[in-house]
Amino acid sequence: MSAEPLLRVEDVSKTFGSGRTAVRAVDGVSFVTSGGEVTLVMGPSGSGKTSLLSMIGGILRPTAGRVSIGGVEVTSLGRRALPAVRRELVGFVFQTFNLLESLSACENVEIALNIAGLRGAAARERARRLLCEAGLEARLDFNAADLSAGERQRVAIARALANRPRLLLADEPTANLDTAAGREVMRLLRELTQMKGHAAVVVSHDPRLRRIADTVLRLEDGRLRQPSHPPHVRVA
Amino acid sequence: MVPLARRNLFVEKGRFAMSVAGVAFAVVLVLIVVSLYRGWSDVGRFYERLPGQVWVSQPGTSDPFHSTSFLARADARRAASISGVRAVIPVYARHIAFSRRGKTLDVFAMALAVPASLRSSAGTYWLPRGTIDVDRVLAAQASVGVGGTIDVLGRRLRVIRIHHGGNSIFQTAFLNAGDARALFGIDGLVNFLLLDLRSGTDPARVSAFVPRVLPGTEAHTAVQFATSFGDRVTSGFLAVVGVLVGIGFVVGGAVIALTTYTAIVERAREFGVLKAIGARGGFLYRVVLEQSLIVGVLGSALGILATVLVTRLLSDSVPEFITVLRPLDALGVFGAALVTAVAASYVPVHRIERIDPAEVFRP
Repeated sequence: MSAEPLLRVEDVSKTFGSGRTAVRAVDGVSFVTSGGEVTLVMGPSGSGKTSLLSMIGGILRPTAGRVSIGGVEVTSLGRRALPAVRRELVGFVFQTFNLLESLSACENVEIALNIAGLRGAAARERARRLLCEAGLEARLDFNAADLSAGERQRVAIARALANRPRLLLADEPTANLDTAAGREVMRLLRELTQMKGHAAVVVSHDPRLRRIADTVLRLEDGRLRQPSHPPHVRVA
Repeated sequence: MVPLARRNLFVEKGRFAMSVAGVAFAVVLVLIVVSLYRGWSDVGRFYERLPGQVWVSQPGTSDPFHSTSFLARADARRAASISGVRAVIPVYARHIAFSRRGKTLDVFAMALAVPASLRSSAGTYWLPRGTIDVDRVLAAQASVGVGGTIDVLGRRLRVIRIHHGGNSIFQTAFLNAGDARALFGIDGLVNFLLLDLRSGTDPARVSAFVPRVLPGTEAHTAVQFATSFGDRVTSGFLAVVGVLVGIGFVVGGAVIALTTYTAIVERAREFGVLKAIGARGGFLYRVVLEQSLIVGVLGSALGILATVLVTRLLSDSVPEFITVLRPLDALGVFGAALVTAVAASYVPVHRIERIDPAEVFRP
């Protein structure tokens, strides 16, 4: 693990609406995480987890505060610069996988590489390698719609890592998975994070994810409660 | 590159097929209207196919079909003395209405008194007495074939040839000059004189010289008659043709825009995902443009093929349906359809711009 924080979240807040209908979804959240670490943000529904993740990933703009990834202050960038952040610095894993149903498993990963400018055989080869690392060598040419939920989430993880991001952001990655598939996805997140050295921020209310987390943060009503540092438990 | 545009289209094969068919239909509509316009524009070329390059008539004659003329038969001899004239062909021409199996048929009948010196080159227009050469449309309307007979103004004429031509407005027939004189009752007169010029003679020069030799007449070149006739026919059509062509393009453009728009709306979440993982606007617009162009290219190509088939079928089964499909027109419509496809992608592109990538976090 690196000692230098890869992700720095400083006093980040987000308010939706204004006046009497204003809702403060995230309120003064600060934390740091380093390469190779998994940070789990837990909290009930509506606690502001997804809003926090969106702000870290440059999809949502905070009302106040700063987010830096690998020394790049994302919150100071203009709207036109944010797609590059999402393309090069961040990889997203979504609760509902969000694969492109008309494409194969391999093409779903390849298109992320195409977006970043890598094309042709090089992109195809890298997509195949990533899917093999995710244990999907037998499913490369399967249509996304024909994969099981666990397989789809593994494709989504491979896609998120396609452009070698510094930070992996996962939103409820096990919420739509059964126990076995959820365990497999957790193992993959943990292993790949250590192996590739990126940082991972996972938001979830699935307590099983505590087992792969280096740091667990608790978010309630948009505010962080006392962080806890569980012992590392590797998923078999 | 992952062929996302193609996959997005082909994933809904039925809708894709209907979209291509819709564009093809619009292209067929446009091309048929343009082909009809071309066909009608060419109607006047009838005068250019006849032997002779200069027509002599009474003053104020627009063309033999739209106005008549009477000249003394003796004028033929004087016309022959004009420098550059190889032969003079007296022409008898008028509309004749006659009944056939309870139907009243109207035909523009012509007779060319082709001199013996021209019968080797223009023999088609010289007919034996008691015979008639009708066009395809008249033959179909009169239900008569070669060898059959038609009674015209009390005279029975045998059909010896059926020539290409005719349309829904007028039909033509060629008669023997002697029969024409008798039928028209114009002994001692001719309607027109058609001058066949020596090779290298300028028709415009001869045309200008004719009134000096034949006072009280005027002359037109065959090209002038053809153009005058074509203009009269097409000027009535132009506004209608323009509107129909416009409607065709609007329909085609709307089909492409709706197809692409529907494909985008249905996959709005996927476009949101692409935005969330860092796709630039240009990447997404290219996908939309590609989808539009695929539908546009396939639809247009299919439309052109269908037009070729439809015009051939119609021409065989309905001879009045005169169309001329020019390769350049087909190419022009193809290009215009592609431009329409590009323009039609504006609406879906606008929709993509409004997709919020944050939506993808919602389950």
